[in-house]
Amino acid sequence: MVSFEVQLYSVLRSKLAAASVNLEIHDGITAGEVLDALCHRYPLMAPYRNIMRLAVNQEYAPESRIIHTGDELALITPVSGG
Amino acid sequence: MAEKLNKRWVSLSKTSLDVAAAYQFLQTPAAGGIALFIGTTRQWTGSRETTLLVYESYEPMALREMHLLIDLAVRRWPISRACILHRLGEVPLAEASVLVGVATPHRPEAFEACRFLIDRLKVQIPIWKQEHFTDGQVHWIEGSEPPETTVT
Repeated sequence: MVSFEVQLYSVLRSKLAAASVNLEIHDGITAGEVLDALCHRYPLMAPYRNIMRLAVNQEYAPESRIIHTGDELALITPVSGG
Repeated sequence: MAEKLNKRWVSLSKTSLDVAAAYQFLQTPAAGGIALFIGTTRQWTGSRETTLLVYESYEPMALREMHLLIDLAVRRWPISRACILHRLGEVPLAEASVLVGVATPHRPEAFEACRFLIDRLKVQIPIWKQEHFTDGQVHWIEGSEPPETTVT
């Protein structure tokens, strides 16, 4: 198992009252599996499962993307800049 | 000979956006048109009165995405200069939160490219706004669609 820090912004940061959360996952799982694992571990995230994306190393990742040790992870809920 | 150099300026800042500096940056003899869009803090949304907007961003990714959007725009339109500037933190009523500008040889592509950049910014760039209302309520503006992504 590898420990990842996942950055939170906006509504998730407010709801979880944290700028990041930790997740223990197997090296080599996919971005989609990371999203599922986060929603299982933090049920407050579950309503966002289908509208948020995982950013990996500062890029939107398709759910098939393989996650490796050292990757920078962040959750991106629907954006509202402008 | 048309200028091929496409200069760009992207930034996130906690201070007021400098419209004059953006205009100066966009000026070039290669362009016959400059389009500049400025988004500002609106007081009324329906019957609700806003007192303040507060923006936050996943900054390194937002800057990368701004560059990606300009890359896309440059492939579609003959852009000599482009800028995307976004303010973070508190933005009081009537002040600018975002400034998008392009300089192109002719007017139609200036409007089109500028519109493209601001429209895509609003659905793709990891920046979020928190709205503060006169009744003391504060909430994050939450869309219903996942962020758009650029296919390169």
